[in-house]
Amino acid sequence: MLQLAFYFALLSLVSVGGIPSVMPEMQRLVVDVEGWMTAAEYTQLFAIAQAAPGPNVLVTALIGWKIAGFAGGLVALGAFCGPAGALAYSIGGLWDRMRDAPWRKVFQRALVPISAGFIVSGGFVLATPQGLIWQSALIAGASAAVLVATKVNPLWILASGGVLGYFLF
Amino acid sequence: MVEERRWIAPADFAEVLALCQFLPGPNVGNVSVVLGRRWFGALGSVVAFAGLMALPLVWVFALALLYADFAVYPAVRAVVTGVGIAGGGLFIGTAFKLARPLLQKPWGLALAVSCFGVIAIGRVSLFVVLPMAALLGWFGARRNLI
Repeated sequence: MLQLAFYFALLSLVSVGGIPSVMPEMQRLVVDVEGWMTAAEYTQLFAIAQAAPGPNVLVTALIGWKIAGFAGGLVALGAFCGPAGALAYSIGGLWDRMRDAPWRKVFQRALVPISAGFIVSGGFVLATPQGLIWQSALIAGASAAVLVATKVNPLWILASGGVLGYFLF
Repeated sequence: MVEERRWIAPADFAEVLALCQFLPGPNVGNVSVVLGRRWFGALGSVVAFAGLMALPLVWVFALALLYADFAVYPAVRAVVTGVGIAGGGLFIGTAFKLARPLLQKPWGLALAVSCFGVIAIGRVSLFVVLPMAALLGWFGARRNLI
């Protein structure tokens, strides 16, 4: 549990772009390094967090729960939100004062390609629990395309993914 | 908070949200911390965060327990895996929307593609990639390449 708290606290500080960005690294630590669960179980926990109402950060609570029960879930959520929350707390005022500072614009522009690259990686890792097979590529590709091209409620996209999963796996 | 209670002006809210999207951490969690602090100090931050998370946390645990009971059935696992993969696809779509302005900025596009290659295909740790990517991004943005 200490190890879990330590990992999630570290991840908290590099989660630029939010939860999607740290999904690859979290999966690498939890699945590849520690062997606490399989890649398939990781994607399934993520699915539950996506389908439930609420912010997607709750996937951290589910991962903690899977590893160390309810206490593990609360510890994981707290460890993931705490450090970043403390940073937001201390920087909130500074950010307001620097509203027109040129470095702020530079900073924001610099983060766009980095976040985009990280978020695509998160999606890729979650969508390939069994490696790059055509069934996964089809579901993920179609979901991404529908999201970009239409204004459909994402919950419908998730539900369609479930139906396709039923027939393809 | 903006429309019903008028606790905060829309522009101000957008400003706070923009900050929290670029800080590490969950966006909505950070918004609750920043706004809680503004109105009620440190205690406000803690209360706002707990209030935001408590009910969804109950929901997500309930769903997870339900799933744990039914996970023995392969069909249930297949459906849930499909939902997870579709969720991954949503991330990919989100990233494409975010990256659209980069189509005119080859340097930025190259940086995004490299991040993907190194992390998703190369499986290199984020703790190694982020400092290097931040340096390249800063350099690129300073020279108006991004």
